[in-house]
Amino acid sequence: MGVVLAGCTPEAHFNANAVLMHKNENAAKETTEFSPQRRADIANTLVALFGTPDEPHIPAAPGIGEDDVHQVMDPRKISFAAGSVSSDEQGRARGLYREHCAHCHGVTGDGAGPTASFLNPYPRDYRMGIFKFKSTPKGQKPTHEDLKRILVNGIPGTAMPSFLVLPENEIDALVHYVRYLSVRGEVERLLIDYATYELTPQTEPSEDDPNPPPEDRLVNLEASEEDQESQAEVIRSFVSEVTQKWLDAESLATEIPAPDPDRDLAKSEAHGRELFYGPVANCIKCHGDSALGDGQTTDYDDWTKELDPANPELVAQYQKLGALKPRNIHPRNLRNGVYRGGRRPVDLYWRLKNGIDGTPMPAVLMLPENAPPGSKGLTEEDLWALIDYVRSLPYESISNPRLAQPKPNNQRERS
Amino acid sequence: MMQHKTYFMTTFLLLTASIVSAAEWGDLTVQFVYDGTPPAPVKATVNKDVAYCGKFNVLDESVVVNPKNGGVANVIAHIYVGRGDSVPAVHPDYEKTAANEVKLDNKQCRFEPHVTLLRTSQTLLVGNSDEVGHNTNITALSNTASNVLVPAGGELKQKFPLAERFPMQVACNIHPWMQALVVVQEHPYMAASDADGKLTIKNLPAGKLTFQFRHERPGYLTEVTLDGKKTSWRRGRVELTIKPGQNDLGVVKLAPSVFEEK
Ligand code: HEC
Ligand code: HEC
Repeated sequence: MGVVLAGCTPEAHFNANAVLMHKNENAAKETTEFSPQRRADIANTLVALFGTPDEPHIPAAPGIGEDDVHQVMDPRKISFAAGSVSSDEQGRARGLYREHCAHCHGVTGDGAGPTASFLNPYPRDYRMGIFKFKSTPKGQKPTHEDLKRILVNGIPGTAMPSFLVLPENEIDALVHYVRYLSVRGEVERLLIDYATYELTPQTEPSEDDPNPPPEDRLVNLEASEEDQESQAEVIRSFVSEVTQKWLDAESLATEIPAPDPDRDLAKSEAHGRELFYGPVANCIKCHGDSALGDGQTTDYDDWTKELDPANPELVAQYQKLGALKPRNIHPRNLRNGVYRGGRRPVDLYWRLKNGIDGTPMPAVLMLPENAPPGSKGLTEEDLWALIDYVRSLPYESISNPRLAQPKPNNQRERS
Repeated sequence: MMQHKTYFMTTFLLLTASIVSAAEWGDLTVQFVYDGTPPAPVKATVNKDVAYCGKFNVLDESVVVNPKNGGVANVIAHIYVGRGDSVPAVHPDYEKTAANEVKLDNKQCRFEPHVTLLRTSQTLLVGNSDEVGHNTNITALSNTASNVLVPAGGELKQKFPLAERFPMQVACNIHPWMQALVVVQEHPYMAASDADGKLTIKNLPAGKLTFQFRHERPGYLTEVTLDGKKTSWRRGRVELTIKPGQNDLGVVKLAPSVFEEK
């Protein structure tokens, strides 16, 4: 590190989300296409809000204090992680993201760096704002700690490496940078949807005036000042909407009541096994009769579902625009003991209690407190039993005759 | 943190429904009809839990046309509320149901109903009347998405406090043929067409209102035939003047091409 690279790298730029634009063109039908003008408006708006890969900028978020915005995206940390690989006059490293992450995740954070197409699973596309391995409930952002943990530990069983060797302040800067790319990507999505569904439908540019009408502009420059301001306000509110979710996440980590330390592990595992194969937890439906991950192998993750994977014609169009080839998502083979989100019992607790965002893996149904008799669902004790069983699975003999005929055992169900 | 929440609640979420009652109210009725020979029902590919789900005649419900009268089921209609617009006056009759639980059941290996209408003040109650487990995977744009495994006989209550521009998509990943939609609006003025293609929205405030029509397969209904005339509804939107009493838009014909897969 600390090497100043000569300026031979071309100026980096963020790629537009051309796939979503095209998807919306198809969905909105009478909007025949995103005109060059509209594409330029979106690109320029994004530059005004977020700057460029070499000169990032942190936008204001109306209604959210600057300190809070910087808690999500700290301009100093962002600029530390941004830019091309180099060092400043004091010899401090810059360009951390492009040095360590961009070849997989792409400069844009679209998960489509030069190495991406060779990897399975593909690197994360941050722009949907969806993350898998985290402590918060489904639909919520990860906490700062969650992202840090991913960078430090990597994701075992995938190409995502551990960055344990990086100093704490660099990890911290990279976490801010991931959030910056993610917020930028989500705001871009909101802008594209806004242009598609809320602006006046585009009329065909006529022969003598190739420019689309002013109402097609992201901000109609011919409207009254007041109207222009209210359009700009809508756009700024997108930044707040997304930033707020990241702020909220910090207090949403699912708490983990400690399991009974004196529980009989063998008994707990046996109970977990019943649940795993039984009708309340239903794990085998996807993970397969032998937990080899072969129960449901034709499904897709949320990033791939956006590509209409059942429709080869559309897929081909999206691939031309840079999308990676759709692949099926497979439930984990639970017999090889590799847990992508971490192997600690608490990690598995979060996976089961909250499900895995962006994937088919569902959350378990917990019994509400004071549930009337006969209610279906799991108690905390049941959940720990499932975790104990999952952790024992790699050591369980697969030729065990108990497994050949998994028999749902309803004894422990609330009835 | 709380302060931001409050900010959002007041600025974005609560386009407070005007309690001011309109002087007069009217109902809107429409019938959607397939303009051609109704396509034969298509069986769903039941390849999971076949012993149980195979007992039911599970159909592909993305397009449901009545073989007798050509009625197109599951056309979704609601009042269109633009960004920053206030919600129209709500008839007092709707207050009784404002906090209701609305049931979306997993039943006979399909979702019942196929289209659920939910107000932001109501609670979605996901049930499972089947003997097999279903995961109910709800994709939301404005609300928090959810994906919970609902065991046989289980139930799950959830709130969706924000209106959704598009119906939320509901899927079961265990049984991939299972698909449904949940329409979420902050007002009660929404409906889905029945097996005869008919829908009614009751007790609308009299006056000019913009409606939006859509269907699962094509999305917005943009090309329709109304009173024998080809008509374009931009983004599926049409402005109508609701008179006190009955308002019948008549029969809206939809060409077979509308339902062709893109
Ligand atoms: C060799 C390729 C590679 C490199 C280099 C790499 N990643 Fe990843 N990353 C991946 C893959 C693959 C995944 C997806 C794993 C999965 O879906 O299970 C991933 C996932 C992630 C996730 C998502 C975690 C979640 O919970 O969803 C984050 C955040 C992330 N990487 C950040 C980084 C950062 C920051 C760097 C650089 C410091 C980096 N990655 C470098 C391949 C890479
Ligand atoms: C609807 C299908 C489905 C069901 C039901 C299901 N899973 Fe999963 N599960 C998946 C998929 C898909 C993944 C892989 C997600 C990913 O990409 O990381 C997964 C991943 C996992 C993982 C791996 C976590 C990690 O860190 O690597 C564990 C453990 C797991 N599931 C346990 C369970 C248990 C226990 C149950 C029953 C309570 C269950 N699953 C039910 C689909 C399912």
